[in-house]
Amino acid sequence: MTESTSPEAAEAPPAEVTATTSAPASDETETEGAPGAAQNGVRRGEQDIRALEREGEIAADYLEELLDIADLDGDIDMDVERDRAAVSVVGGDLDHLVGSEGAVLEALQELTRLAVLTQTGDRSRLMLDIGGYRAGRRATLTELGLATAAEVKKSGEAARLAPMSPFERKIVHDAVAEAGLRSESEGEEPQRRVVVLPA
Amino acid sequence: MLEEALEHLVRGIVDHPDEVQVHDRTNRRGRTLEVRVHPEDLGKVIGRGGRTAKALRTVIGALGPGRSVRVDFLDVDER
Repeated sequence: MTESTSPEAAEAPPAEVTATTSAPASDETETEGAPGAAQNGVRRGEQDIRALEREGEIAADYLEELLDIADLDGDIDMDVERDRAAVSVVGGDLDHLVGSEGAVLEALQELTRLAVLTQTGDRSRLMLDIGGYRAGRRATLTELGLATAAEVKKSGEAARLAPMSPFERKIVHDAVAEAGLRSESEGEEPQRRVVVLPA
Repeated sequence: MLEEALEHLVRGIVDHPDEVQVHDRTNRRGRTLEVRVHPEDLGKVIGRGGRTAKALRTVIGALGPGRSVRVDFLDVDER
């Protein structure tokens, strides 16, 4: 897969997705329907990297002070991955900041994005990870996507997976595409789930 | 600590951070953190469909002790 198209391009109706695209015609872009995000995705260059680095800095300040107040140990790493800022809190015992099924992590990510929006005026698609939770989920879900694709190839029947967050569905869609099959999402949040389709 | 954490989280997401006040109201029925913000910021801290308020409550719930803490949002002019 190339990175020449923004993830938002996948929001186009399925009819507009050409047969050669391996990207699933999914809505899993995690923009939460942000209208300005489509233009953001296609902007490139040094200026954008700098803007993303600034997002990371604002996020790090916001989180660092929270850790201080809560007397929690943790270091903050900042990075730019593809076209978004990535911020991770690592070290210490951070399990309760992840929460059950990552609920606290999602809440903190949401607040951190709002903190960036408040300072820059631009909506942020920043990715927050805490204690390697997302990294671990990514590995598990990639494996699940590949295994399910193999199963569907064998059986010739569509497979429905458990409900997942947009972030998680995106990982599964990518793994299924990598295995050469198509997948789509069905149902309404928070019950929305990936369906892996037979070839 | 919870009060301070909540104040910090809210200050970072509003246009009038200096007007953010958090009061700890503990009585027999339990503990309530009352967040007051500038009237123009009330929509911000509540968010679309209550999303932001929910996120704030989730984080405070995670930082707090086992017992649940209630979080209320008001504007500074409300009595």
